[in-house]
Amino acid sequence: MKRRVLSAALGAAVSACLVQGAAAHHSFAMYDVGKTYVMTGIVTRVDPNPNHLQIFFAPLNEARDQVLKDDAGEPIVWAVEMDGAAISARHGISVNGFPRGTIISVGLHPLRNGFAGGGRGKSGLFKCPADTPPAPGKHCDSVPGSTSHGEGVLPQPTENAPARPKS
Amino acid sequence: MAQARIGNRTLSVSIATAALIATAVAGAQTSVGRGARDPIRATVIVGSEGKGMFVGAGIPDGNRPIFAAQNGAVPAGIEPLPHDIFTTTDFYKDRDLWSDARYYRCNSAVGLEQIWGAYEVPLIGDDPPRSAAWGFCDRDYPREEIVSPYGFKTAKAHYAALLAETKAKGGPTAYTQATLPDWNGRYRRQREKTASWFNGAILQIPTYLTLLTPEYQKRFVQQMYHYSGSNAAQWPGSYCWPEGFMRRLAQYGGGEVSFVMTPDLILDLRNAAKTLITQIHIGREFDESGAVPRLGPDVAQWFGETIGFWDGEALITWTSNIQGWISHGGFEFSNKLQSIEIYTPRKNANGVFVGIKHEIVLYDDEAFVEPVRIVHNLDKQRDLNEGDPFVIMECVPQSFPVDGHTTPMSPGQVVEYRVPDIYGRPWAQIWERYHEEGMERPREQTGRFGL
Repeated sequence: MKRRVLSAALGAAVSACLVQGAAAHHSFAMYDVGKTYVMTGIVTRVDPNPNHLQIFFAPLNEARDQVLKDDAGEPIVWAVEMDGAAISARHGISVNGFPRGTIISVGLHPLRNGFAGGGRGKSGLFKCPADTPPAPGKHCDSVPGSTSHGEGVLPQPTENAPARPKS
Repeated sequence: MAQARIGNRTLSVSIATAALIATAVAGAQTSVGRGARDPIRATVIVGSEGKGMFVGAGIPDGNRPIFAAQNGAVPAGIEPLPHDIFTTTDFYKDRDLWSDARYYRCNSAVGLEQIWGAYEVPLIGDDPPRSAAWGFCDRDYPREEIVSPYGFKTAKAHYAALLAETKAKGGPTAYTQATLPDWNGRYRRQREKTASWFNGAILQIPTYLTLLTPEYQKRFVQQMYHYSGSNAAQWPGSYCWPEGFMRRLAQYGGGEVSFVMTPDLILDLRNAAKTLITQIHIGREFDESGAVPRLGPDVAQWFGETIGFWDGEALITWTSNIQGWISHGGFEFSNKLQSIEIYTPRKNANGVFVGIKHEIVLYDDEAFVEPVRIVHNLDKQRDLNEGDPFVIMECVPQSFPVDGHTTPMSPGQVVEYRVPDIYGRPWAQIWERYHEEGMERPREQTGRFGL
């Protein structure tokens, strides 16, 4: 059993590296590929970094009607990193394609250090129709009219993302 | 007559008429979209006391000090405002004063930028910032010399008109490597303070603001406040952040220009804190299906993407898909910025090529109320393979924001570092966190989902 988990993790790591860009400009060892979160949230910003595009998003609550907030009442913002901006744009993932307020669902392998970020790996990325969140507990891939960006489906989560990541 | 608003009065500045006429005749326009006479040279503008030069304040290399009053004094005949950008507690609340040159003590944008000694002798006085110097309230550069003379609303229309005009003459001109105009070489841009309004030294700030939309006026005044009131300049190059598109046209950026010419691709290479490269793709067309015209994927580029064609000896280009940014001392610009640029050869009396005239018309309906124009002259210095090689600049960070001030650090020193949001006006993030306490900054409204 232990060997199978290790094997799966290694496979996921290799996949992550392959998917996340042949010209990767950093190691992916900071991500825990043994863990997978699936999250739905509201885009706050797209960072079109030429090496690794990042989408910053505020996760929605289970009811899908409010973003999660910290003790100070500020939205909790996660970052998901993926291919570089040019490759991502060919999948429709861009500053123009994902403006602030876009509702997305994505799977990610979280940072080992517990901060609010992760690598997309082979996960699918789905965009809900404008102003149309999924039903409570659901993700954008369940919403009629949603769009898929790049290859992959939403993976099975290994656990839920922490409500209060390190900051 | 050029005019500057000083309170309720409008002061007039005389322009040496003979020089203006001479310039106008020399540049008689024969095209719908290029060849208008050059903007008048600031050196022909003369203030009431007979001095020429720029608004000030400042002490440029090789020049006498330029200021109207310093160290707390007020120029004769000027009634100061009860408070100004040096003494305000909240510049956001002063919007009604932004259009009064006295709010800036009649300093130019560069006058404010350098007033604490950014690159010249400081003129902030003995009790800073209250004791900051005054520039000359009776000098200004005419707004009509800044806005585009061509009447096009968009870069697309401007480019299309020039292309149609060229086609009507049988163009565009097709060159081979053997017949291509040989502009290969190294050039020195004429970039003294008075060479262009974009150098920021020859016009009053209220005149500058008339070029900008309300949001970009606010951003410009914010920048000016943090040069004057808080002395907290955040030049992108100081942190090795991107330099951005307009840096190639700034006084202290892109002063030496290299041209590398081929029939289908021309490189315009310049340096600031980083290397600034414009790739001109001859004969290509933009994909206009997205938010802005582009060549590659839907990703804004720091220097945009450029297409062009030849009309005889004139190289005409259109740049789009530019990442919005700032060139310090100048205006902020948005992702909608586009430029039409016309490069034409300059020849001496014997017809020998001596350099290039570079005319730039800028379109950005998010930042500008109407298009603006910059004209630069480049003087040929030497061939490409002559002298020191062109340096590819890789910026290595050595300064970091410490308590909101740019601070050079030494190896081994420890600094608390707040990661900037590079695509969210990082310079302003520092200002707003460290230097605007108690100010009532207009806030974004909370949107749906509580975001």
